[in-house]
This record gives sequence, C-alpha cells and structure tokens, in this order.
Amino acid sequence: MDKAMTVKTETTRDLVWPGLADPAHDSQRLFRQILGAMSEPGTLTTLAVPAPPSDALGAALWGVVLTLCDLETRVWIAADFDSPALREALAFHTGARITDDPASADFALLTHESFDPQTPFAVGSDTYPDRGTTLLVAVERLENDSNGANDEDNGWRLSGPGIAESRVLDIGDGAGCRALMTRLAGNRASFPQGLDVIFGCGAQLAAIPRSTRIASVEARADSQETN
Amino acid sequence: MDGYNFAYLDEQTKRMIRRALLKGVAIPGYQVPFGGREMPMPYGWGTGGVQLTASILGADDILKVIDQGADDTTNAVSIRHFFQRVAGVETTTATTAADVIQTRHRIPETLLRAGQILVFQVPIPEPLRFIEPSEQETRLMHALEEYGVMHVKLYEDIARYGHIATTYAYPVKVDGRYVMDPSPIPKFDNPKLDGNPALMLFGAGREKRLYAIPPYTRVESLDFEDHPFEVQTWEHTCALCGSDHSYLDEVITDDKGGRMFVCSDTDYCQTRRGEVA
Repeated sequence: MDKAMTVKTETTRDLVWPGLADPAHDSQRLFRQILGAMSEPGTLTTLAVPAPPSDALGAALWGVVLTLCDLETRVWIAADFDSPALREALAFHTGARITDDPASADFALLTHESFDPQTPFAVGSDTYPDRGTTLLVAVERLENDSNGANDEDNGWRLSGPGIAESRVLDIGDGAGCRALMTRLAGNRASFPQGLDVIFGCGAQLAAIPRSTRIASVEARADSQETN
Repeated sequence: MDGYNFAYLDEQTKRMIRRALLKGVAIPGYQVPFGGREMPMPYGWGTGGVQLTASILGADDILKVIDQGADDTTNAVSIRHFFQRVAGVETTTATTAADVIQTRHRIPETLLRAGQILVFQVPIPEPLRFIEPSEQETRLMHALEEYGVMHVKLYEDIARYGHIATTYAYPVKVDGRYVMDPSPIPKFDNPKLDGNPALMLFGAGREKRLYAIPPYTRVESLDFEDHPFEVQTWEHTCALCGSDHSYLDEVITDDKGGRMFVCSDTDYCQTRRGEVA
C-alpha cells in the first residue's frame, strides 16, 4: 500500500460515522449485550460495532448510542467530546436532540476526565426514579477480576443485584475515575434516585446501575459502605 | 413475514421499551411506566409480556411459552405461534433449551441458568392496588417505603384464618427496598425468585408498566417472625411422573368425584417420565 492510499484511507475514516448495517437485528443483538451488562454489573462484554472515527468515544459507546437513542431522547455531550462531526452523526443516525442542560438529558456522553460531580445530571425523583440520566462514560481501562488482568489491590468491589458474591471492576485510577466511582458509591444513600452508568473502552462495555454497592478494594478492610 | 417489522413491534417502540427495561433493571422491583402499544390480542392475554418479548427477542433465540406451567394450553400456543410468524424464531418446550421463556403464572420447576430471560405476563402490577386504589397514592407509598398496610393485609389473614391465606401473587420485597407483585404465580414459586441466576422481566400491557429482577437478587416474601412464609405442600404425588416436590394441578377425571393430581409444569413432568422410562 503506498503512502497516498494510506492518507486517503485515513481521510475517509475521518468522515464516516458508521451506522448499523442491519438496524433491526444489530440493535437487538447490541441491546441484549447492554441489558446483560446492566443486569450483571461489572461484567465485560465486547460489542461488535463498526468503530466511529473518534477513538475517544470508542465503538462500544457508539453502539449504545445507535441502539438506544432516537428522536425521543435528549443527549448531553461533554465539552471534550463535542464536535460538529459528532453532532451531525447523532442527528443523522438517531435524530436525537442535543441538549446543553444535563438535568434534562436522557443520555450524557463524557470521558472519565470530564466527569464533574457538580454537573447536575437528572437522578429522577422518589416517585419517578426512572427519569434519570444514563451516563455513557469513555474510560481508558476496563478490567474485572474474571479476565485475570486485575491484581487485587486495584479497582472497586461491586456487590448487590446482579452479582452473586462480589466482583471487582477497574476503570483506571485517574482523578476523574475516582470522583465518578465515589459519586456512584453515593447512589446508595439517595436510592432509588441515582445515576446509572455504562462504561466504554474501545469495543468493550460494562455497566454500573444505581442498585450496585461500591467499595474501594483498598478500603474494603475498613468494612465501610455496608449499605 | 411480509408487512411487519421483525418481531411485530416497530423499532421506535422497541427502543422505548428497551430504555425502560434498562431503568427497570437498574431499580429492581420499581414499576417503570412505558408507552404500551395495542397488540393483536386482547388485554389479559399477555400483551405486556408479548411486548417485552418482542423487544428483546433475536432471530437466533429459542423461545418457550408457558401458561400455568403448560406448553400446550391456548395462551401458550397462540403466543408461540405469534412469534413463529412475526419473528420466525425457533421455539421449544424444553426449559433447558430456551433462551427466552415467556410465562403466565408459573416459574418452571427446572432450575433456570445464567443467560436465560424469563418474561412474566402481569395483570395488575401494583401490589398495593387492592388496598389503595389511587395510583398517585401508591406511587407515593413506594417512594416513602410506606408498606405497613401490606403487612396489615397479611395480618388480617392471620386474624381471620389463623394463617396467611394469600396463596398466589404473594407480595415480595426486592433487594430490601421495593415491595413487588411477582404476578399471579403460586406462592410455591416465590422462593425461586430469590437469587435466581436468570434475568426476570415483568410486563403489564393494560397498565403499561414493566419491572425487573436482575439475576442473583435478594427477594424476600413478606411475613412475620411468628408466622414465617411457607409454601404449599401436598399429600399427593404427581399421578404421571410421581414427583413429590413439584406444583400440582388437580384434574377432574369423571363426574363421580374421580380426580388426579399432575405436575402443572408439563415439560418437567414429561422429562421426568422420559428419564424413568
């Protein structure tokens, strides 16, 4: 392959935000994977979706967007993700409305770095807890204790519905990751209000719904966060 | 089948139900409102379950449908045929072979495995409805975790009959928070809700509510310390397979008082007879 060809391929890739080849069946397959991830928090699943030109977003989160967003949903996009190309692709493929108000967003696209605990995402109300924002968070690492890559002193120990005993999920230990996991651990105190999160790392996906109890693996000896 | 989208529902509707399902799973036992569609069957015939099944079903899935445990009763047969026609999916009567099981009023006797999805047809999703007719009030009661009246109802049973006389749709508490109607399954099946490795989804078509119990979730049947929850027991065994541990139906065999007791779960009964033979 000569250099010109490579350049051309790169350029084309930059332009194309892929849709689902077979919308009815592809979205069904992806939804079942997302449903599986949400039902069993911390499990990893790999979504077979054509990758978007944004490496930061990754194939998994783009697959979630294509599966769940449509003209009935409002999407909030963090500044570090926001681009005219993404907005155009969202509008073209899903028809979703972009909102600047995180409190009215059904889905929020952000990276672990841009997570700010002060962002007023919707957490639902006590009478309608389902009316909350689902965060779609791009992370740089996504490992759990069953894929063997995790050494026991990193990550977060999850328990609760969907988890037989407990499961360790490691999403990286940047400041944003810690802030996010601390915020999610706070879901228990406000339950049934809370944030549900779907993590994407490339084509890999995991989820933590608000029902999950979260403790830092390092701090588990302190036996805090019992509820 | 021409003229229909795969699995009957249009993609927009499926997405709406799928988003609601994710919230239902995230808040175990909470009834999520959804935009229930009119289905080509009357309310009361499983329109809620059918909409959920249509939203999760894939072309590769193997579907099983049971009605009171049986694969061969009217409701089960029609819903199975419905999905054969509109989704072209393979169907089965074997609990172990199924990926998705839609059920009316039973949980199969055979233990479910991880990865299976059990879809319940629910007539009245609100466990507090017979006590408090107002939706606004019951919603507030759930918000405030105000479940005392449910215990009063069970207590009234004890005061009147000496024991808790509720035998089906026996209320449960999911993950220590929401009181939930498990649909009119016999209370015999309630223990199977607790820590089940399968995902359980509940759909009420007329009331337009769905809710979920994720796998491995703590589900307790409401009771009292001095009147603990108990399941039914029978002196009889199944007349066909001899099972002494399954839920039995009483079948009248003649007009002279003749009767027999048989497993309500036909697949379980047939499997056992096959093994014995």
